[in-house]
Amino acid sequence: MQLRIDLYSTGFEPLVVLARWQEEQKQRANTESPAEALFVGRVRGVAADGSELEALELEHYPGMTEAQLEQLALDCCSRHGVSSCLIQHRIGRVLPGEAIVLVAIGADRRGPAQRCCQELLEALKHDAPFWKREWRADGGSDWLSGNTPL
Amino acid sequence: MVSVVPMAGPCAAAIRILLFAGLREQAGWAEQQWPAGPNGDAGLTPRQLWLNLQLPGDLDQQVRVAINRQFAHADTPLQPGDELAFLPPISGG
Repeated sequence: MQLRIDLYSTGFEPLVVLARWQEEQKQRANTESPAEALFVGRVRGVAADGSELEALELEHYPGMTEAQLEQLALDCCSRHGVSSCLIQHRIGRVLPGEAIVLVAIGADRRGPAQRCCQELLEALKHDAPFWKREWRADGGSDWLSGNTPL
Repeated sequence: MVSVVPMAGPCAAAIRILLFAGLREQAGWAEQQWPAGPNGDAGLTPRQLWLNLQLPGDLDQQVRVAINRQFAHADTPLQPGDELAFLPPISGG
């Protein structure tokens, strides 16, 4: 199983990163995954209270966040028997419209690929130590105490 | 023959305590060293440190504990040199 996890402190283009990853997988296995599922999450322009969002700040726990992401990915990918997993996640200050997370799963069938992608995304939202702080246009800010609804 | 005995500095015998995000800002500090001799604090737990440090909020309802960067129970006995983190509600992805 091929696994890659990166945290970015500056912006990344998810489709560019994905294309590079797919090319690496193709060269390694001399074939492409028959099934791929991917999720790209971007920052909304609206804060939880409905006001205009200036930026989102993402804090993490260096060392634990990376280790936890790896463990979650290995567990989830093993359960679903998938062949590749790419996780790309932002940290630091992220602007509305910018990508915050990319999860891409390669597998032999669409079922495992889609189920693994969704399950892993939910796992990292709840069990990987990241914290979001909303910075509003009026200069105020609040730490979020949970995730947006599914 | 010369035998070399590793010297443990004061930090090696301490418990390193970390706070993050909103919890750090509520408490007003990010990191502390809690002295913990090899025998003097046997059985010291994250819950006891939470109370000793008078940290804000409900440990059981709002906070998760990590010891040496792995999730742990708040009543797990700590060892000198451990890194203890109190984690407010996670909101990644």
